[in-house]
This record gives sequence, C-alpha cells and structure tokens, in this order.
Amino acid sequence: MNDPIRDPYEPELGSIPAGSEDDETVAKTGTTTVGITTPDGVVIGTDRRASLGGRFVSNKQVQKVEQVHPTAALTLVGSVGGAQSFIRNLRAEASLTETRRDEPLSINALATLAGNFARGGPFFAINPILGGVDDDGSHVYSIDPAGGVMEDDYTVTGSGMQLAHGALERQYEDDLSMAEAKELAARAVNAATERDTGSGNGLVIAEITDEGVDITHHDDVTDLL
Amino acid sequence: MQDNQQQAYDRGITIFSPDGRLYQVEYAREAVARGSASVGIRAADGVVLAADRQARSPLIERDSIEKIHTVDDHVGVASAGHVADARQLIDVARQQAQVNHLRYEEPIGVETLTKELTDHIQQYTQTGGARPFGVALLVAGIENGEPRLFETDPSGTPYEWQATAVGGGRDEIMSLLEDEYSPEMDLDGAVGLALESLAAADDDTLDADGVHVATVDVESEQFGALPTEDVAAHLDERDLGGDQ
Repeated sequence: MNDPIRDPYEPELGSIPAGSEDDETVAKTGTTTVGITTPDGVVIGTDRRASLGGRFVSNKQVQKVEQVHPTAALTLVGSVGGAQSFIRNLRAEASLTETRRDEPLSINALATLAGNFARGGPFFAINPILGGVDDDGSHVYSIDPAGGVMEDDYTVTGSGMQLAHGALERQYEDDLSMAEAKELAARAVNAATERDTGSGNGLVIAEITDEGVDITHHDDVTDLL
Repeated sequence: MQDNQQQAYDRGITIFSPDGRLYQVEYAREAVARGSASVGIRAADGVVLAADRQARSPLIERDSIEKIHTVDDHVGVASAGHVADARQLIDVARQQAQVNHLRYEEPIGVETLTKELTDHIQQYTQTGGARPFGVALLVAGIENGEPRLFETDPSGTPYEWQATAVGGGRDEIMSLLEDEYSPEMDLDGAVGLALESLAAADDDTLDADGVHVATVDVESEQFGALPTEDVAAHLDERDLGGDQ
C-alpha cells in the first residue's frame, strides 16, 4: 500500500545508487554545456566528447542534452553513468507527476526535484544545466553535485566553463532572438573546445520553446557561426 | 453452529466455500455491476474507451467524475465500480509504466501492464485481512504498433477483447457489440459504436457532457480525451442526442 509521506529527497520510483565513481575508468563528459534564455525560449549548446580521466577521448559523438519534460531539457555533465540514470529518474518522476495532475510540472518544480535528487547523494558527480519554458517564461538553472539549484539568464557548466563564459559575458543580451542565441551558444562552445581538452568533437544544440524541444547535431562546431 | 460455519465462507476473503467459490470476489463483481458502464472497442487503427458519467446532481462539477484515466502517453484505463478502488489501481499502473521507462527505457506493453495490475489485484484475494478491489478496468493502448484492449476483473484475471463493457447494463451493451462489431471498423466507427452501445444501456439517449470518450490511435500512439464537441457530433450523427 502507498506510504502516505514520501521522502522528498528520494525518487518515488527506484532508488539513488550508492558508491563512488571517482575513477579514471569511468567515462566523464569533461564538457562544456551552455544554457541561454531568450524571450522566446531557451537554447542549450554542448560539445560531444567523452573522456577517461580527461586524457583519452573515449567517445566522439555523445549527445549531452536530453529532453526530460515536454518543454525542458537537461545536460549531461560529469560521470556519464550518473548523468544517464539521473536523466531517466527525472524523466520518469516528471512524467508520473504530469500524468497524475494532467499538467506538466513548472520548470521551477522540475529544478527543485532535480536538486533534491542530486542532494540525496554526493556520488552522482554531475553538474547539469536544466533549461525549460513554462507559463512564467524561459528558465535556465545550474544544478551542482550537492544539490544547489541556481537560476540565471545564462549559465555554463563543465570543464570548459571559464572559456565559454568569456564569450557569453561579452555577447549576451536579454533580448536575443532564438537564432542569435543559437549562434552565441555555438560561439561559447567553440571558445571552450579550442583550448579545453575535455571538450570537443562538434556541437549539439537544443532549442526549447513552448512548443517542445528540438535537438540538432553538428559535426563541426563552426557550422553555426 | 452449522449455520455460523455456512456464513463464515463469505466472511473471510481467503476462505473457499465447499463448492470452490470465493464469495467476497463474487460480491466484488456485484459492486462492478452496480457501477455505471464503461465500453472499450478495438478498431483496426486504434482503441476507444467510453464511459457513462451521469451526474447525481446538476451542481456537481462534471470533470470531477473520473472514469477514464491516462496511465502513460500510449495507454489509458476506464473503470466501472468503486472509483476510490480504481484510483489506487491506476496509480499502481502509472508507477509501473514509469518503472518500465526507468528499467528498460521503453514504453510498457499493454499486456505487461495489464498483468502487473491483475497480479496486484490477485494478491487481494489471497491475503488475510484484505478486501478485493470492487472495480473492473478496461486497459487500452498501442503495443508494437498494434491496438490492444484488455479487461481486469476483481479476481485478478486478465482478458483480452475486441470489444467489451464493464459495469451496469453490460448484457445489453454486449449483445449490441456482438451484433455490430467488425474487426475492420476504423476508430471513427468504433467511437460511434461505443456511444451507441452506452446509449443502449441508457434508454437510447446520451448527452455529450454526460459521457467521457478517449482514444489512442496507431499513428500518434497518444492516449487522450475526445473533445466534447466531437462527442456531440458523433451523438448527432447517430441520433443519440436526446432533447438538448
């Protein structure tokens, strides 16, 4: 029978895995992931490289942004296994709540849920961006490994974050069109892939509007510049 | 003394009568028969569920009468019997549907889902202190591109159907379905037949607000309610509208 009070820090379905993943045999994304809000939606840009210990490229076509909600997407940053199971959990919980209530979660509720799960254990070693659109508009959140949830107009996570921030700080404006934001995301990821060994091998862009999430792959990061 | 022992067969859910019956399960089926009807029809290109939701009073908010529920994108459930019992089962179904995504990253099969439900229902016919679920469900969805329709009953037995009904007036509805059903019919025709059969159990009239219709088709694989205007159009077409 249903337990009337559920632990808000644990997923209702499944459980948070225990154990450390801080090991050079574990695939990490290294990564540069960028999230930018615009009046019309959110653009997320990521590179496509997975590496072992930051020294060997173990995969060159990783899709590091996944849809988790009708109008929201999450990036994979940190341990690939941790991030993949985190995404499956978040997607299942968001879908269950949406089915029960007959309306999608707000992006703030989704970010809180994600923060609670990340807070449930330090093992995930992930640092994703959550971007989404709801009745209140466009939102970008960064979620840190300890469950910190911070909203911003634009944000970057991953090993290339300083480099990408350089590009963003100079060019971000609060009235970008979706096309301009796409170009800016590409520029920021490009700045990081030039010098960060954990980032590279092209670009994936997710465009999120109130219509849904559209994810496209680009073999060359300069395609959109 | 003899009399007391006779009566005891229907007291404990886990006790068989000498002729091999579980009276509490049979009483639970009676609870289903007293509920308002739900109909399910499998067409060539989808499945329709339709449920009677006549209001006890004009003051009640119709949308609060829950007879058809979404379980996951591709599957939904209609119920007849105790709504409160149905809600518990539907939440089990919703959780199992998401567990399937978590475990396999695939939508749950309609047959798998039905059997998860019936296994859950069956436990309440074999566990001391429990009461069986006083509800029957119709489970409709798409599996591997094919429309599927199942029924669960209070004993925990799953059945697959081309077309069926649960709840009050089942006999009238079934005899109409047996005469009129054809496996080649399309979803649009199935919606019409579902409404006609519900009306057959209800003096041949329905009003569009008093009936809830939901469909899932093989193309979109999305389960969802049919808008009231569409229901009204179907009722008009078949002359079931009554005197609105």
